[in-house]
Parts: sequence; C-alpha cells; structure tokens
Amino acid sequence: MTDLLELAVSILEAGGIYALMALAYLVVLRPTGIINFAVGEWATLASFFSVATLGWWNLPYIPGAVLALAGVAAIGALTEQATVRPMIERGAPILTPILILLGMVVVYREAAALGFGTQNLRVPPPLGFGRIDLGPIAIPMQSAVVIAVSGIMLAGTWAFFERTIWGKAFQAVAIDRVAAGLMGINLRLVAAFSFAGGAAIAGTAGVLQAPLTSAHYLMGLPLAIKGFSALVIGGVGRVEGCILGGLVLAACERLVMRYAPIPSGFAIGVPLLLMILFLLVRPTGLIGARGRT
Amino acid sequence: MNAKLAAAIGWLAGAAILAALSLTLTGYHADLFRKLLLTATLAVGYNFQFGFAGQIAFSHYAFYGIGAYAITILSTRFGLALPVAALATIGLSALLALMVAIPANRLEGFYIALATLAFAQLFVVVMVQGGDFTGGPDGLFGFDAPTIFGARLAGANFMLVVSALFLANLALFAALGRSWFGRACRAVRDDPEAAAAMGVDVARTRIAVFTLTSSLAAVAGMAYAFADNFVNPFVFGIDAMFVLLFMVLIGGAGRHAGAVVGCVFLFMLPEYLGDLVGRFHLLAYGILMVVVMMFLPNGIIGLWDRLAKRLRPEPAR
Repeated sequence: MTDLLELAVSILEAGGIYALMALAYLVVLRPTGIINFAVGEWATLASFFSVATLGWWNLPYIPGAVLALAGVAAIGALTEQATVRPMIERGAPILTPILILLGMVVVYREAAALGFGTQNLRVPPPLGFGRIDLGPIAIPMQSAVVIAVSGIMLAGTWAFFERTIWGKAFQAVAIDRVAAGLMGINLRLVAAFSFAGGAAIAGTAGVLQAPLTSAHYLMGLPLAIKGFSALVIGGVGRVEGCILGGLVLAACERLVMRYAPIPSGFAIGVPLLLMILFLLVRPTGLIGARGRT
Repeated sequence: MNAKLAAAIGWLAGAAILAALSLTLTGYHADLFRKLLLTATLAVGYNFQFGFAGQIAFSHYAFYGIGAYAITILSTRFGLALPVAALATIGLSALLALMVAIPANRLEGFYIALATLAFAQLFVVVMVQGGDFTGGPDGLFGFDAPTIFGARLAGANFMLVVSALFLANLALFAALGRSWFGRACRAVRDDPEAAAAMGVDVARTRIAVFTLTSSLAAVAGMAYAFADNFVNPFVFGIDAMFVLLFMVLIGGAGRHAGAVVGCVFLFMLPEYLGDLVGRFHLLAYGILMVVVMMFLPNGIIGLWDRLAKRLRPEPAR
C-alpha cells in the first residue's frame, strides 16, 4: 500500500512536469500552427535563470522564480518578434518558422552553455529537503511543491482558455485565423502572447525540475520529447488533454521503471515508444480538439 | 551533345580531384577528408529526401548508425565474410526503413518528423543499453580493417572507396532528380492531391523515397564503421541530425550542389573558426541557420545563382 502511494506521488510529480511541457507546445501550436521544439530550451533557460536569481543573488523564492519566468517569457516574445513574425508577414510557408525555431534550439542551448557553463548547477529547493508526513507515507517537500505548482498552473491556464475573453480569442484564432482577424482580434498580439506564455509555462517546468535534478544545459531535449509525447497521447487540442497525456506518460514510465524486468535505462525509451504507438494508432490523441483544426 | 560532353568532363574532373586527394592526403587532413566525404554522401541523400521529396525525417543519422552497427556486429560477432555482411546489412536496413516508412506514410507533415525523431532516439537508447552485444555507451572498437580482393580497406584505399561512394550517390540522385521519379517526388512535395490527380501514386512514391535514401544512409554507415574502426552510439544522436539538416538548408535545399556546398561549408567552418569560437561552433551553426532561413531562403546556392545571373549578360530576346 505504501509502495503504491509513493508510486502515485511520483507519477503526479513527473506527470505535472510533462503536462506543463505539453501545454507549452499547445499554447504556441494552437493559435500559430507552429510546432516549437524550443520549449525544452526555454525550460533549460528558466532553470538557469533560477540558478542566478535564487542561488547567486539569494532572492526569496517567489520573486526569484517569477523573475526567472519573466526573463524566459521576454525571450519567448522577443524570439517571436525577431524571427517568426517577419516570416509570417512575408507569407513564407509555415515550415520556415518551424525550421528557424529548430535553429533557435541550438542557439539557446549553446548560449546557455556559454553563459552558465556545462556543469550541473544545483538550485536550492524552496521549502528545503524535508518531508511531509501523510499517514502511511512521507512525501518529499519538492514533490509536494511540484505537484502543487503544476496543478495551479494547469488549472490557471484552463481557466484562462475556458473562462476569459482573452482565452476565447486564442481559441478563435486557433479555429479560424482569418475570421478571428476580421472580428477584430489582434493576431500579432495573440502570437506574441502565445510565445511569451509558452515560454513561461515551459519555464515553470524547468524551474520545478531544477531542484530535483539540478540545472544542466542538456536538460531541454528530454523534457521536450516527454512533453511532446504527452501532447500526442492526450491530443493536440485542450488543456485537459495535456494533463491526461502527462499523467498517462508518467504512469507508464514509472510503472515500467518499477516493475518491468528490463534494464532501467530502457525506461528512457517509454515515451518514445508511446509517442510512436499513438501517432500510428490514434493520431488525434485521447481527447480531441474542439471545433475545426 | 555539347552539354553532355561538358557534364562528362565535369564528372571525370571531380573523380580525378577526389582520387588525387585520396592518394596524397595524410594524417589529420586525410581524416578530415574521409569524414567530409561520408557526411557529404549523407547530405546528398538527405537533400533528396528533404529537398526533393519534402520528407522532414530525423532518422537519416539513425540509419547511418544502423549501417555502421550492423556491419560491425555481423562481421565481428557472427564472423560473416564482408560481402555477405554488407548484403545482410543492406537488407536489414531496407527492411527497417520499410517498417518505418509504411506506417509513417499515414502521418501528416511535421508528425513524420516526430515519429522519425522518436525512432532515431530509440535507436540510440537501444545501442547504449544493448550491453556487450552493442558495446553499450562505449560502442564497438578494436576490430580490424577488412580486406577485399587482397587490398586492405584502410588509408588511401579506404579514401578511394569513400570517394567512389560519394560520386556514385551524387550521380544516382542527380539522375533520379531529372527522371520521372524525381518529378513525381517534387509533385508530391508541392501538392500531394494534384500529384495524385496526375496519376502519381503518392504513398508508393513516399515509401520508395524513404526506403531508398535511408538504405543509402546505411551504406554510408557501413563505410563509416571502417573510417576509425570505431562505432559509438552518441555519434548518431540528434545533434548530428540537426547539423545535417542545417547543412542542406544553408547550402540550399532541393539542389544537389546546395547539399554539397552546405556540407563542405559547415564541416570546414570549425576548422577555420576553431580559435575564434572554441567549442561553440554549434552556436555559430545555429545562428547561421536562423539567418540563412530568414534572409536567404534558397541558401548559399540561391545566392550564387543570383550573382551568376547578374554577372552574365542578359541573352537577347
């Protein structure tokens, strides 16, 4: 029983981070149609920024984390302004910004390595290394933080899309770009906000991940792949899909690590296999998009 | 007739230059030369897959690795004679390519990129976790250069073989590009529905392109195994694949010359920028890639075309 509960906690923890990564793709993909591989690198940058604000400058956790996220959100918005927008306005095929962002993956990553070095950098966990006693099990403090923060972030994004006029504007652009533009929705503003928001969401995953595994310049690609697997599993459409995909992926991964009689290194292959499986068998994912895609 | 003669002279000159370099280069330069030729062979094939047929696949380096690993394991672990091992490797990689291509064909656009990316990552995971059979993270090493017809496949002999491989790939893809098949590929890339309406079998064309280019990547991989008699899983990772994509895009996707120019350019860049950028040549690649995609959508070869057009006097109409 204890075993199972601990497993459930580790699934919630990993699933929260994967769901945030999936959401970071979704927030950019829905209104712009761009599959943005740089989300993993945004997570890396944010976790390095948190090294600076929390580890070097010793800011209190919340202002430090918010500053790190603001930094990466600004980078996201600037990237959109500088590289994506000119291409869209020139009428280039959608593949052009996708390939440019693939180039930006390398630019971000190598710039991070240049600025912060290639070693592991530890980030202090916000509530220390203690444990919370919950009856039969004791949850590590950072797991509780990850679960709480990712839960709040996912719920907040869901509320934004479903309950605010701004969120409706995003949905409208995703469903029919031209009609949304004609209805007076500012397409440029939506694109800029989607990149800033995607960067802040991916950055949250990075800031949460950093105290668990420490910040490293190569941490982005695994996060990017897991986030994408979660997105494919859940379905490219709604916030609920990201959450479900993240949890399914984390559950499969943790169960394989715990019970399957294979070397633990093969567990890295689980998200890849699941992604291939879903792409082939159910490319719309578990929860489909609303409206026309 | 004149054009054909010029083309023949061009091919002969190219072959002569590569042969001369193979016979004269030694040491570090020889190493650089054979790796450049192998990468250029990959770039030409990838350019056909990506530039001509519009398939954004991230599995090209994985097939390169499959070729390298398969020939090494078949010839050292199973003791097969080299020609047998080579044929078996080609068969195996063609089969694997078909197994990827047939289901991937059902996917739309960029999703093919993701499925093949997952496949490529899985290949690295399996090689790293393969234990003694694949050599694990250390890879396979310590095997001997093979001997064919009494000639040891090392040094100048090896470079001559790789030169021939590169020219054969280039000639094959150049011929294919001009053929009915090449036009079908471009039609499928630009508008699959229109291509189907014109009688092109879209699915079969896509599967054929994927299988052919991936198998030829595996053939290049077989040669790679004997470049250093060393095969390591991380060589075939996603970074190398990104650089290959950058080479094709920076040189000019859809043009054979573009793939070769882009490959030579990016491959030689760290050699000359070495002191300036240190180990950050990847950063330079990334910036270059972004700038070229933004300002030179047709790559270096597109720039060359524009310059050539400006220099050449306008023909009278």
